[in-house]
Amino acid sequence: MKFEFILYGFGILFCIAGISYLAAEYVKYLSDIGKIGSLLLTVGLFAFLGKYFEKLGW
Amino acid sequence: MAVKHKNLYLYLALACFLGIILIFVFDGYMGLHDTLNFTGGEFPQTITADQWQQRGIPDFMPSTSAIYGEKVAFTYVIENRCFSSYKSDVSVTVWNNQVKLTDLLSTTVTTKAFGKGQVDWVFDTTQFASETLTTGTSAHFTLMIQMGDIQRKIIIDIYKDIIQMKSPQ
Repeated sequence: MKFEFILYGFGILFCIAGISYLAAEYVKYLSDIGKIGSLLLTVGLFAFLGKYFEKLGW
Repeated sequence: MAVKHKNLYLYLALACFLGIILIFVFDGYMGLHDTLNFTGGEFPQTITADQWQQRGIPDFMPSTSAIYGEKVAFTYVIENRCFSSYKSDVSVTVWNNQVKLTDLLSTTVTTKAFGKGQVDWVFDTTQFASETLTTGTSAHFTLMIQMGDIQRKIIIDIYKDIIQMKSPQ
């Protein structure tokens, strides 16, 4: 059971790393306004996710 | 009601994620996109703005080859995907061994918002390569397109064909 969770953890990590890499590659081609907009929305995304998990009692 | 409120932050987070994706799509579509079409020999080629901007390949330079005596026709299309009109000088020059040989074209392009502009020119191989070019050897030239801050380069390789074509009867 524990081993499965370790595998899940690796899977999630690889997914996040892959998406981060693709996003970082794409950001190079964005205009300055697009970069600022994406940055603000990313901050908002993590802030709201944090709030959501806080409400769940994490 | 309490359940709805509990999920509100999740929906807001999803909205932010959707916003990021929308910015990626919108930002990729907007801007100035230039495309070059040309036919060297019997091979038509199209170089799009995305190909020019490939940062993984330093100094990406497309190339074409033409037989001595042929003319290579170029069409440079400027697509203005902006909310304002675009006006710029376009110049095409021919270079060899880092020395400018001649100006092929110098004009001004004006495109309306979300409109297209087009510039055409012909590269005559006999104008640049020597007639004494022997079979099996080739001469190389760089065609440089300058439009505002945008600079594009293409290598043109001129050679004499080993097989002589029959002229039409």
